[in-house]
Amino acid sequence: MTLREFLSERMGRIVLQLICAGLAALFLFATGTQPGILAILLLVLLLVFSAKQIYDFFHQCAYLRELVAIWDGLEQKYLFAECVPPPKGLYERRLFDLIRRAGQAMTGTVSDAEASKREYREYVERWVHEIKAPITAARLICRNLDGDTRRKLIVELAQIEANIERALFYARAENPEQDCLFRQVNLGEIASQAIENHRSLLIQSHVRVETENLNHTVYTDEKWAAFILGQLLQNAARYRGAEPVITLCAKPHGKQIQLIVQDNGIGIPSHELARVFDRGFTGSNGRSRGGSTGMGLYLCKKLASFLDMGLRIVSREGEGTAVTLTFPAKENLTKL
Amino acid sequence: MPKIMIIEDDPAIREELTLLLKNEGYTPLAITEFTDVPGQAMREHPDLLLLDIGLPGKDGFALCAALQKSIPAPVIFVTSRDAGMDEVRALSLGGDDYITKPYSVPVLLARIKVVLRRTGGGPEPADILEAGGLRLSLTKGVVSAHGKTAELTRNELQILACLMVHAGNIVSRGDLIDTLWDNQIYIDDNTLSVNMTRLRGKLAALGLPDAIKTRRGMGYQL
Repeated sequence: MTLREFLSERMGRIVLQLICAGLAALFLFATGTQPGILAILLLVLLLVFSAKQIYDFFHQCAYLRELVAIWDGLEQKYLFAECVPPPKGLYERRLFDLIRRAGQAMTGTVSDAEASKREYREYVERWVHEIKAPITAARLICRNLDGDTRRKLIVELAQIEANIERALFYARAENPEQDCLFRQVNLGEIASQAIENHRSLLIQSHVRVETENLNHTVYTDEKWAAFILGQLLQNAARYRGAEPVITLCAKPHGKQIQLIVQDNGIGIPSHELARVFDRGFTGSNGRSRGGSTGMGLYLCKKLASFLDMGLRIVSREGEGTAVTLTFPAKENLTKL
Repeated sequence: MPKIMIIEDDPAIREELTLLLKNEGYTPLAITEFTDVPGQAMREHPDLLLLDIGLPGKDGFALCAALQKSIPAPVIFVTSRDAGMDEVRALSLGGDDYITKPYSVPVLLARIKVVLRRTGGGPEPADILEAGGLRLSLTKGVVSAHGKTAELTRNELQILACLMVHAGNIVSRGDLIDTLWDNQIYIDDNTLSVNMTRLRGKLAALGLPDAIKTRRGMGYQL
C-alpha cells in the first residue's frame, strides 16, 4: 500500500474534515472570534487530523506487512485465516470472522478430499496386489496347455499385467516420495528386468532386441526406471514396422549416463511429436491401431521428472523413433 | 530330491505350484495351516522355503524372522508386493531372493535352482552334455564329434544345448526363442533361422550333417 493509494482511499474523509473545519471557522469568524486565535485553532485541528491519518497509514502498513510475512511462511495457504492476528475494528473483525469460517469450511473439504484420495490410492494398490494372485495362478495353469495356445494366453495375460502395472504407477505417481528408492543400479539389470516383463509381447511381435554397452552404474529407482523402459519397449513393439529391431544402448554424457532406446518402427508424425507426453494424447498411430490409452508416455514423463531423469524423443515417420533417457549424476540428486 | 515348502495362502497358486514343483523333480510340501509355521518347518526340514508376504495371521516378514531362528533353510519371498522398500526389508531380514508375482514359470524355476545351488542343496549344473553322438562343453562353448571339434557362438551354443537337453523330442521354434530369451539373447524368428543354418553348417563339418532334423510345422529334433 502506497501513501498515494491510502490518501486517495481516505480522500472522502479528509475532504469532510476540511469542510467541517472550514464551516466551524466561518461560524467562529462570524460570531466575532479573533482571526489570530482562529488561525491557531485551525493549525491545531490540521495537526491532529494529519497525525491521525499518518498514524493510521503506518499502522495499516505494519499490519499488512505482518500478514504478508505469515502468508509467505505458510505451506498450506488455505490455513491463512487461522494463522493471522484478528483486526481491531468491529467491522473488520466481523468481516474477518466470515472469512475465517469460509476458510474452515475449505479446510474441511480439502482434508476430506485428501483422505479420500489417499484411501483410493490405497485401494488401488491393494487391488493391484490382489489381482496378481489369480494372474499368477492363471500363469501356472497355462503351463499345462500345448505350445501355441499357451503362448497366446500368456501374451494376453502379459497385456493384462501391463495395464495393471500402469494403473499402479498412476496411483503411485501421486505420492512418489512414498515409493521412490534411489539406489546404485546396473543399467543392464534394469534393461533385462524391463525386457523380461514384456518378453511375451516382444516375442509375439517378432521383435529382435539388441543391447549394447549397458554395463553402466546409474543412480535411480530400479522399479520406476524399469517401468519407464517397459513403456518404451511396449510402444516400440506396438508401433513396429517390418522386421522390427529395438536397440538399447548406453553412453556416458558428462557425469550422466544416457540410455537410448531406438526402434525402426512406423515413427511419429512431426506435428504430433510435441504432444506425445500429454495426458490422454493418442495420436494418429494410436487411433488407427486402437487400444491406445495415451497414458504410457504421460506417466513416463511424470515419473521421470521425479527421478530427475531426462526424457527426450525424436522420431521420423516411417523410419523409427529414438527415446533418450538421461540418468542423473550422483551429486546432482536433490530429492531423497 | 530337494524338499521345498510352499507357504502361500491362495489355494489355486498353492495347488499349481505343488504340481509344477513335483513335475520338476522336487518334493513340494504345501502348508494349509498358518498357525505354527516354524513348528511345521522344524518337523519337515525343507531345503528351501517359498514364502508369501500377505498371509493370514503373521505376515511373511515376521515369519521369516521366526523361521530363520528355527531352521537353516534358505527363504525365497514370493509376493505380489513390489514396492522397493518391501524388497529391501525382505532381503535384510535374511531372505535369499525376492520374486514378485505374477512371475513367469521359467524365471521362478531358475531362481529356485540358483538359490538351492548357492546353499548347497541342489545338484551342480552339468557342464558337459552328450546326446546324438555330440559332446557339448557349456563352459568352453565347444562341440565335438568323431574326434573333431567346432567352436560355437553364444546363440548357437544355447540352441544346441536346448536341443540336446530335450534330445529325441521335438522342440518348437517358439520354445527355442523362449529359451534363448531366458538366457538374455533377445532374437527374432529370422535370427533363429540364420543361427540354425550356421549351427547345421558347423555340425556338418564335424561329419553330422543331419544331426538336427526339421519337423515341418512342429519344430526341430535332435
